Amino acid sequence: MFSQILIWLLVASNALGYIYLLYRAWTRVPRRDIDDVVPFLYPVDLSLMESLLDPAADFELRWRLSPRAFREAQRRRMRLYLELLRRMSHNSTVLAEFNSVLLGDDKFTSGPASKLEEEAVKVRLYSWCTRLRLCIWLSLPLNAFGVMPALACLRTAADLDGPKTYDDLKAAAVAAFVQLQPAELETLTRNL
Amino acid sequence: MNVLLQTIPLWLLAVLLFLLLRGHAYKVCPWFFAYVAFGVAAGLVRVLVRNYPHLYYATYWITEAGYDVLGLLVMYELIRTVLQKLARTWWGRLIFPAVLLAGIGLSVVRALSAPPQFSGLAFYIVTGEIAVRCVQALVFTGLVAIVLILGIRWRQYPFGIATGFGGYSFVALLMTTKFSDFGTRFTFLWGWTLLVAYSIAVLIWIWFFSVPQKPETPSPDLPAPSPGALKQHQATMEQYLDWLRRMR
Repeated sequence: MFSQILIWLLVASNALGYIYLLYRAWTRVPRRDIDDVVPFLYPVDLSLMESLLDPAADFELRWRLSPRAFREAQRRRMRLYLELLRRMSHNSTVLAEFNSVLLGDDKFTSGPASKLEEEAVKVRLYSWCTRLRLCIWLSLPLNAFGVMPALACLRTAADLDGPKTYDDLKAAAVAAFVQLQPAELETLTRNL
Repeated sequence: MNVLLQTIPLWLLAVLLFLLLRGHAYKVCPWFFAYVAFGVAAGLVRVLVRNYPHLYYATYWITEAGYDVLGLLVMYELIRTVLQKLARTWWGRLIFPAVLLAGIGLSVVRALSAPPQFSGLAFYIVTGEIAVRCVQALVFTGLVAIVLILGIRWRQYPFGIATGFGGYSFVALLMTTKFSDFGTRFTFLWGWTLLVAYSIAVLIWIWFFSVPQKPETPSPDLPAPSPGALKQHQATMEQYLDWLRRMR
């Protein structure tokens, strides 16, 4: 009976997977042109990101503030980092969609179609893993137990260095959109 | 069942083998190429020995075991291909063994609660076959989840292979769990439904592999950058790197 239920669950998840793939095939990606890229990007402040991930900043806050104030400050920093991760993930999606339009989404490939797509997937993998950890930390009553994890340990997730991965995405975007006008390219990099 | 109808998957597999050879897909997914080549050879041998019951019985079960082993190797190849560029973590290497254990576990529990009507080696082959279908269904579901979460393009060969296997395993598992209620009509339904499902799976693979692989560079339709544009690009890159240096 138990195995029957598990096999039914597997069959149902397979059916849902097929429905999702058909939906993807039907709708395709949003047809973006260059005018739909720059305004849709949210700037990510890399210096803020570095300061949040700096172990020295964690140590300094721990040293300067009372334990209670430190926990409050740390929760605020976690929410800030969560927002940065959302922006990183969103920007990578926008860039990958525009790149798909440039390359022609109808083609089949043996792997990622371009360097930009590969970097975008890495950014999304990093931000997804890190957001999961942050959401767990923020939902747990860590204050009650008197513990507060350091943000510095979020620098790497799934074997990926967050700021470096985002830097690589920016460099890949500059290389991929070489045919843009210099002014457009500059706006693009500034908005990333 | 008509011999011509029975051999439809064989003809389709032969077309697929030709497409794989033409597109040099054996370099990209060698185990899948081996699976298709084995499928063509096994299908031909089955047709040749169909009038010799004992020989056909032995050939059928031996080739079924071969399909199972190669089916598992293809699943390993898919997981490795998709995950190698995503994560090189210690847990990344545990995914395939975990999926394999889950598939074997499900199949063994099912074999204990509702044993297949076979004895001897055939019993183990049928149990192994259900395990392979479970592994294929799990891999397909996992890959769809990756597409959903990470927004990866699903128009890639590994996803096409998984889609074919996923559809076939979906039908096979559905029949294993539900269609046995049909009683005496079961064998007839089993044969036809699996034939149609496998033919559809091969058609999905043909669709994926019939489109020439795109080089991993920008489309040639885009205008090639002029020397001036390249200089501008170089200047922008230098400006960008300088900006990065200043940020640090």
